Amino acid sequence: MTTAAPGHRRTVTTVRLVLLIAVLVVVLYPLLWMTGTALKSPTEILNNLAVWPRHVTWSNVTRGWTGMPDVTFGRFFLNSTVVALAVVLANVCAGLVSAYAFARLRFPLRRLWFAVMIGTLLLPQHVLIVPQFVLFRYLGWVDTPLPLIVPKLLGTDAFFVFLMVQFIRGIPRELDEAAIIDGCGPYGVFRHVILPLARPALITTAIFSFIWTWNDFFSQLVYLNDVTRYTVPIGLRTFLDSSGQSQIGPMFAMSVLSLLPVFLFFLAFQRMLVEGINTAGLKG
Amino acid sequence: MGITRSAISRRSLLAAGAAGAAALAAPALAGCGSPSSADGPVELRVFWWGDDTRATLTDKVLDLYTKRHPRVTFKKQWQGYDGYYDKLATNVAGSSAPDLFQIDEDGLSDFASRHATLDLTSMTGSRINVAKFAGSIGKTGTVEGRRVAIPAAENTAALIWDRTVADKYGAGDLKVGMSWDDFVAWAAKITHASGGTVYGTADPSGYFQVLEIWLRQRGKDTYRGSKLGFTADDLTEWWQFWVDAHGKGATPPADLTHVTNSGDISKDLISTGKGATALEWSNQLAAQAGLTKHTLGITTYPGDTGAAWARASMFWAVFRGTPHAQQCADVIDFLVNDADAGKILGTERGLAVNTAVRAAVKPTLDAAGKQTLDFETRMAGSFGDPPQTPPKGHTELRKTVLITEAENVMYGRKKPAQAAKDFIDQATSILAG
Amino acid sequence: MTVTARPARTRAAARRRPGRARHEGVAGYVFLSPWLLGLFGVTAIPALYSLYLSFTDYDLLTAPNWVGLANYQRMFTTDPHYWHAVTVTAVFAVVSVPLKLAAALGVALLLNRERRGTGVFRALFYLPSLLGGSVALAIVWQAMFGRFGTFNSLLSLFGVHGRAWVNDPDFALGTLILLAVWQFGAPMVIFLAGLKQVPVELYEAAAVDGAGPLHRFWNVTLPMISPVLFFNLVLETISGFQGFTSAFVVSNGTGGPTDSTLMYTLYLYMKGFTDFQMGYASAMAWVFLAVLAAFTAVLFGTGRFWVHYSGGE
Repeated sequence: MTTAAPGHRRTVTTVRLVLLIAVLVVVLYPLLWMTGTALKSPTEILNNLAVWPRHVTWSNVTRGWTGMPDVTFGRFFLNSTVVALAVVLANVCAGLVSAYAFARLRFPLRRLWFAVMIGTLLLPQHVLIVPQFVLFRYLGWVDTPLPLIVPKLLGTDAFFVFLMVQFIRGIPRELDEAAIIDGCGPYGVFRHVILPLARPALITTAIFSFIWTWNDFFSQLVYLNDVTRYTVPIGLRTFLDSSGQSQIGPMFAMSVLSLLPVFLFFLAFQRMLVEGINTAGLKG
Repeated sequence: MGITRSAISRRSLLAAGAAGAAALAAPALAGCGSPSSADGPVELRVFWWGDDTRATLTDKVLDLYTKRHPRVTFKKQWQGYDGYYDKLATNVAGSSAPDLFQIDEDGLSDFASRHATLDLTSMTGSRINVAKFAGSIGKTGTVEGRRVAIPAAENTAALIWDRTVADKYGAGDLKVGMSWDDFVAWAAKITHASGGTVYGTADPSGYFQVLEIWLRQRGKDTYRGSKLGFTADDLTEWWQFWVDAHGKGATPPADLTHVTNSGDISKDLISTGKGATALEWSNQLAAQAGLTKHTLGITTYPGDTGAAWARASMFWAVFRGTPHAQQCADVIDFLVNDADAGKILGTERGLAVNTAVRAAVKPTLDAAGKQTLDFETRMAGSFGDPPQTPPKGHTELRKTVLITEAENVMYGRKKPAQAAKDFIDQATSILAG
Repeated sequence: MTVTARPARTRAAARRRPGRARHEGVAGYVFLSPWLLGLFGVTAIPALYSLYLSFTDYDLLTAPNWVGLANYQRMFTTDPHYWHAVTVTAVFAVVSVPLKLAAALGVALLLNRERRGTGVFRALFYLPSLLGGSVALAIVWQAMFGRFGTFNSLLSLFGVHGRAWVNDPDFALGTLILLAVWQFGAPMVIFLAGLKQVPVELYEAAAVDGAGPLHRFWNVTLPMISPVLFFNLVLETISGFQGFTSAFVVSNGTGGPTDSTLMYTLYLYMKGFTDFQMGYASAMAWVFLAVLAAFTAVLFGTGRFWVHYSGGE
């Protein structure tokens, strides 16, 4: 493309931009429709098939926000935020520590444990629910956020361990060796070499952890009983179940609102996310 | 459990699992673990499905109980119907089920025959008064000869129809005692008169409750003991009837009926404005009225009205592992027999099962509530006996097999006879356990 | 993907003394201890317990009884829905994964050349991936692809009479595939990251050699991003086979109409929780694990032949 004439290049650029925007319109259409519906009055939802409302109404937002007795969506947002941030912290810590062991340290049975770790990625989670529930009930953790957080602190989210193993493998070993010559042991290498250099991988982990936890429905449904402990996805589901399709407007309003935090999170950190993916051992 | 337990008994974590399952067999270990004392404060966990209206009313009525019995307090838990039984089952498996929970006919067989619910036989009559229960409703809630649940409210099969639509297309009123052919002709008239913009009725060939009434009208039953009470021929005839009805224009294309097969009234054809009927339960009239601007009528399913019965819309059951069995029984007694409780609850779950409470509640009802009560009072004279509680495996038959095979016919993928044979084969193997 | 700077490792190993090796072994287990605790406490023991349950008739509510291989036998011989679920899942994975990756790569290629607004574009394309298993999705999809949906209104502009796509047994799975492809944002972000790493000099050199755009894509871009492609392929294949949420949400948890969207994990879930056959569901899970592990192993095996790591060995 660098050899093309300037006029030709401009045409190509325009075509590319038009193409991108066309794809974007198709991709965003369902989301726009959803947002539009969230701002329509009930009669307009039935009669106006256009994407955008003729008259924007905000009542769906207020009706949805206070749509359940005794508790507002504010509570759900708070609960979701607490759980999501705790999981972010847990995944980051556990992932890095375990990944360092897998990627850099030599110890008996290392290959076996690594294979087991990959294996845990493949097992459908639904059959683990009951045995795990029995365990957490025994510990008295049911109806608290602990079953959602503590396992992550123990590195059960194998995806992130895997991601960070790939990343650490990409950090030049010469740096370790330099640190060792300076008198560092495995702990020193971890603190002075791996920890500072792993920042992009940590950020990638943080973003995906946040998004996935925010959207997670099933485990939260199983472990949280009290409405005041509900997170956004369960609140939404309960709200929908309890009000049916007459409440499509408020339901969509709450859905759009529940997407906002993750979207903003993504927007704010995406540059670092890309950096993290780049260096996560993918370029060999 | 025995095998795992002996195999890895020294592992503390497995002991947790074993303790969980052992608690099932030994009620005293379960619940919150503290033994029930006669005078100490007691907190009961109560769990139900429903909407926000039900939550508000149930909250209020339980608060009233606490006001009268200050040492009994409640930990209330509620959610939508979706996922309710999943969660209940997980909690029972982890022996942390709520002390008192709502259950319906579908769940009852599955939970009670597996002994997840407390046998209330000895407490019925002494702690839970059923003397004033209307008609034969007191007979419901038994499984394998044990009383395992107390009806929380009463409803009956009801055909809700859209009067506004029927008037507009000159189809006339649906009447009690009309024949199935009358009903199909009425429905076809609406479809034709509206030019196919509104369909007469959804195709109910996959609705268990409609099939059940139809079978009872022919002297059959859905179940006899733990076996089916009907044959492949019955089912073939049933599905053929609806294939013919579709040919006459009474029912919409299969996809529109498919959406209604979830049983969610917000998706039925009246709510979506695509059809003129909903084959539902009488207590759903109020909720249905809230989902449309049209005027609604209520009548019986077509055919002999004696096939209908006073049905428990839902039950209250007690977890077998609760340490507070007596208190749970007292709360149930209050919920079903206390007039003040009845006035708070209204007809939201259905009519009060206690006739005295029903009379006390009547003046407090809104229009839809009164319409429901009038309908049910009018029909009570012809009610037949309730059918047996469905056997274990019923949920799977009702929610999966019947709907799938009925849809195979509707979408034209199987002939009625073939689908009927496939249904019977699967049902037989499921019911055999 | 597992390639590291091997020469460095050998050098380090040569320099390592026995005492340090033992020290490192201890450190290894120290660093791994949280993960091991999690493995045994939270994952492995419940998993092994589920393996045990797969040989029982466990129904969630009563104690399990040993039934030997009965569950496995039933799965492979008498349960007609099982093979149906296998077929549905295979079709879903085999069609949706390549389409999704193609869409992701295509848009990433377009976006890669854009200088301004990349961040905004990237974030907007990523949006559908955020929606995940939201309940709103079911309603949106019904509204788009139902009988009275937007898609049919669009078709009628061209005089085409549409169908009830999402409620039609012949097309319901297709709409789920579309839903998966629609969420191409996640692999796209990863492709984009990979594309940014391709040195511009390589394109220039190829252009000097007179290579056309297709040629450049085939001989420069594709080999250079093969590690990213591989990473995406592995992840999307796993999640394709595990596809549960969209089928669950859109079919209202039934796998309907007429089992047309009965994905493997959805069927497993229905068996375990709706039909109280947790023993059977556990057996299904272990067969699934075995097949998926074999599939992943094959992917890793073939990866050797077409994935090029620029670091090289």
